[in-house]
Amino acid sequence: MALLTVENLSVGYHTRKGFLKSVQGVSFALAEGESLGLVGESGCGKTTIGMSLMGLLPENAAVTDGRILFEDTDLLKLSKKEIRQVRWKKIAMIFQAAMNALNPVHRVSEQIAEAILAHDTEISEETAMKQVESLFEVVGISPERMRDYPHQYSGGMKQRAIIAMALSCNPSLIIADEPTTALDVIVQDQILNAIKDFQKRLNVSLIFISHDIAVVADVCDSIGIMFAGQLVEYGNVKDVFDVPMHPYTRSLLASYLTLDKDIVQLDSKPGETPDLVNPTPGCRFSERCTVSKAACSLNTPEWVEISPTHKALCNQFK
Amino acid sequence: MEVRKFILKRFIEIFIIFFVILTVLFLLFRLAPGDPVTRMVDPTLTPEDSQYLIAQLGLDQPIGLQYLYYIKNFFTGNFGNSFHYGVTVSSIIWSRLPNTIILFTTSILLSAFVGIFLGKIASWQKGTKTDTWMTLGALVCHTLFLPWLAMLMIWIFGFKIGWFPLNGMISPKIWMDPSSGFWLKSLDVLHHMILPLATLFLIHFGSYLLLMRSSMLDTLKEDYILTARAKGLEEKTIRNKHAAPNAALPVVTSVGISLAFSLSGGALTETVFSWPGIGRELVFAVSNSDYPLAQGSFLLIAIVVLMANLVVDVLYAYLDPRIKY
Amino acid sequence: MTVNQSTQTSKISVRPAKRFPTIERLKEGWSVYKENLIGKIGLTLLVIFALMAVCSFFPPLIDPMYHPMTGVDPLITHSTGPSWRHWLGTDFIGRDILCQLLAGTRIAFMVGISAAFMSIFLGTVIGMIAGYAGKIADTLLMRLADMIMVMPTLLVVLILSSLFGQLNIWTIVLLIALFRWPGVSRVIRAQTLSLKERPFIEAAKVTGASHFRIIFRHIMPNVLPLSLLYMTFRVTSAIIIEAALAFLGFGDPSTVSWGMMLQWVWKTGHMFQAPYWLLPPGICISLLTLSFYMMGRAMEEVLDPRLRKEVAQE
Ligand SMILES: Nc1ncnc2c1ncn2[C@@H]1O[C@H](COP(=O)(O)OP(=O)(O)OP(=O)(O)O)[C@@H](O)[C@H]1O
Ligand SMILES: [Mg+2]
Repeated sequence: MALLTVENLSVGYHTRKGFLKSVQGVSFALAEGESLGLVGESGCGKTTIGMSLMGLLPENAAVTDGRILFEDTDLLKLSKKEIRQVRWKKIAMIFQAAMNALNPVHRVSEQIAEAILAHDTEISEETAMKQVESLFEVVGISPERMRDYPHQYSGGMKQRAIIAMALSCNPSLIIADEPTTALDVIVQDQILNAIKDFQKRLNVSLIFISHDIAVVADVCDSIGIMFAGQLVEYGNVKDVFDVPMHPYTRSLLASYLTLDKDIVQLDSKPGETPDLVNPTPGCRFSERCTVSKAACSLNTPEWVEISPTHKALCNQFK
Repeated sequence: MEVRKFILKRFIEIFIIFFVILTVLFLLFRLAPGDPVTRMVDPTLTPEDSQYLIAQLGLDQPIGLQYLYYIKNFFTGNFGNSFHYGVTVSSIIWSRLPNTIILFTTSILLSAFVGIFLGKIASWQKGTKTDTWMTLGALVCHTLFLPWLAMLMIWIFGFKIGWFPLNGMISPKIWMDPSSGFWLKSLDVLHHMILPLATLFLIHFGSYLLLMRSSMLDTLKEDYILTARAKGLEEKTIRNKHAAPNAALPVVTSVGISLAFSLSGGALTETVFSWPGIGRELVFAVSNSDYPLAQGSFLLIAIVVLMANLVVDVLYAYLDPRIKY
Repeated sequence: MTVNQSTQTSKISVRPAKRFPTIERLKEGWSVYKENLIGKIGLTLLVIFALMAVCSFFPPLIDPMYHPMTGVDPLITHSTGPSWRHWLGTDFIGRDILCQLLAGTRIAFMVGISAAFMSIFLGTVIGMIAGYAGKIADTLLMRLADMIMVMPTLLVVLILSSLFGQLNIWTIVLLIALFRWPGVSRVIRAQTLSLKERPFIEAAKVTGASHFRIIFRHIMPNVLPLSLLYMTFRVTSAIIIEAALAFLGFGDPSTVSWGMMLQWVWKTGHMFQAPYWLLPPGICISLLTLSFYMMGRAMEEVLDPRLRKEVAQE
């Protein structure tokens, strides 16, 4: 049974230019202990999906359609108080801008203990601190540094501390939003290993957001490729990598697999993200697609099932 | 940076600033049109007295030596004699200083605390009626013309309603009476202090409110607030524990910057309420061409501003762990 | 105040100037400004005061007794309340209070705008030079700014007036300007520092533009909106300082300013008897400064909400 089922989720932002439909009709499911990677270029709506799951969308955002079933309750229907109890206890999130995710005026250990204490009123402060200490060991920071303030940490240490924080309440789902973007390559690697490690060991479900398809291939079981607010290909990592169907996926994979720069832009022309305020009724990728036909920009694309664990949103295969 | 190092650095900076002010004032007093001797020595004194004073202040020496005399006299607390009062300037200043400090400190603390508190609330209710009214009220209070507000206060609460004395700091009747004890006397001072305090408070709390409000709104956009929300903390905890301490930092900084402004306001308030402080003495001295008194009280006001700045820096250093550790 | 300067300024966003930077920005800015309630109130107040300033030229033309300084009603020898002949009443020697109030508006505008303009000019130039030149020039200029910033302007001007005698209105304006630039220059310096790192400045350097040209052609257009914002706050403080000086009796005796009117009420002991005389000048000073202050705050939101912090201290 799936731990999380997202059905037809659509989210938009009210902006000066109009209602920006940044996520449209996204559906996916996640089993317990499974990890899903969401990949796509900047602005395609990855963070927006993550925030919807946490119920942390900004004020100008609105969920226009869909359901988010988590352990059989629709998160979108919960009251503020109820969703607060889900946060961190059930679903934790490692934010994109993790460098600033720690409050500069409080000690790191206090900030982690705070999460534990907020969700478990029984526990004493000392016990919470003990737990923080063991969490520090899990993520590989010396517990001596617990009482430091965030500015005394390096970027990699901050990121580890945040992972420790995400693990602190034993959530069943962790959303990691580009957890390694701001770090240098070696530290990136260490952090990724730490994530893979705890994910397998603690058997927690993971949604891993990234713009780097290679990283997702390394970390996740299944993958969702996003373009302009839509999921365009979704399936098992192996299936998608073996037989990429959507032209956008192919272009992403081409740039990952080939070292020869000439064939990088195989199925895609460079271009801007399409207008999300007035999106075309047809395929949103059609303008950048090298194999598109005239009909592509007119007809709404439909899902094509390639195998039970692999599908793509493209009219080419009809 | 370590706190001690930070404070030491600020102390040295402030000391240098003070020395420059001291020097500039010296030069101004010599450069201004007219005779520096008649400016520093009461023309109505007997020749012997004035000779003595000239020698003491070094006014018969070449300018370089005069400067040394000036510095030495400053550090020994010798500012010459007031023309008007006929006594030493330092004795006048010392008797006025506590009165200024009482009024100044209470008004700053009170307005900062209330302003920060209300600003926090306003920012939390951004866009609501409460917020709009608080912001508008703060704007209006902050731009009220201080001497005018002071006069209104006296007119309404002193004259019309008669709750408070019209001016001064003590009622002679109570202070002359040997039977009145410490508490009665203190109560009397408090009674006199309420109107000037209210005036200064009204003028200042608005700017702290506005500052805290916008600082809070900025802080609420920070990522660590998002983290706090994601942790499932209650809104009240997020506001008081995560947002407010960070938002208060720039406000503390600005308290430091606005101290000078507050002292000008203090001088005006003291003048209108006849509160016997240094600011009023300065205004009085300037109006009556009592140069030694003007010089002395100005220097002391400069010291008060600089010291208060130092206090604010220390406070800041203790609030911000980025300095502390 | 030294501490969070850098963190604060790094957030300020700057766009490189476009081809018609002023026109484009003004249009864009106005559309945001229009929606701001506080901005609208401020602008309305300002327009009212501007009308008052214009009106101040007319009463003396009607009858010489309406001259704000020298016109005395021959029938009146003491302060009288509002009447048909004198809408706001007269002062202690029978001069018309309304006429004084109108004339005061003119003075307030003159003092406020000219002092603000000068201090902004100084602050902008010094800030750009300090930020652009860096090194010793930067250190020296900013230390100087720190020093001036901690001095209470009103009291400094008081001391100067005791030494140099009666100050006329232009000297007062000049002094206010001289003591009010540091706040501006610090912000402009920070802005310049962040601009300096921008590609378009680098590009200008590569093409061999002179420092002078880079500062005035490339940096200045980008910091001007910020200067303009500060100007509104400086107008406020200049008006207040002038009024306070006049109130204490150190104004220019040949002009009628609102502060002067308040001094007359106070010094002639009419504070309790003549509310018709006490109220108008105070209301005017407060409302005019409020109007500039409100416009400044609205403009702040137009420019960048992040800039708020340092401003509200005057
Ligand atoms: N608060 C907001 N107000 C208005 N529009 C927003 C807001 N947040 C995001 N958007 C818009 O929504 C779209 C999706 O944004 P989102 O942050 O989800 O993208 P992303 O895939 O996470 O991109 P990145 O890889 O850069 O993090 C973008 O076009 C963005 O401009
Ligand atoms: Mg994102």
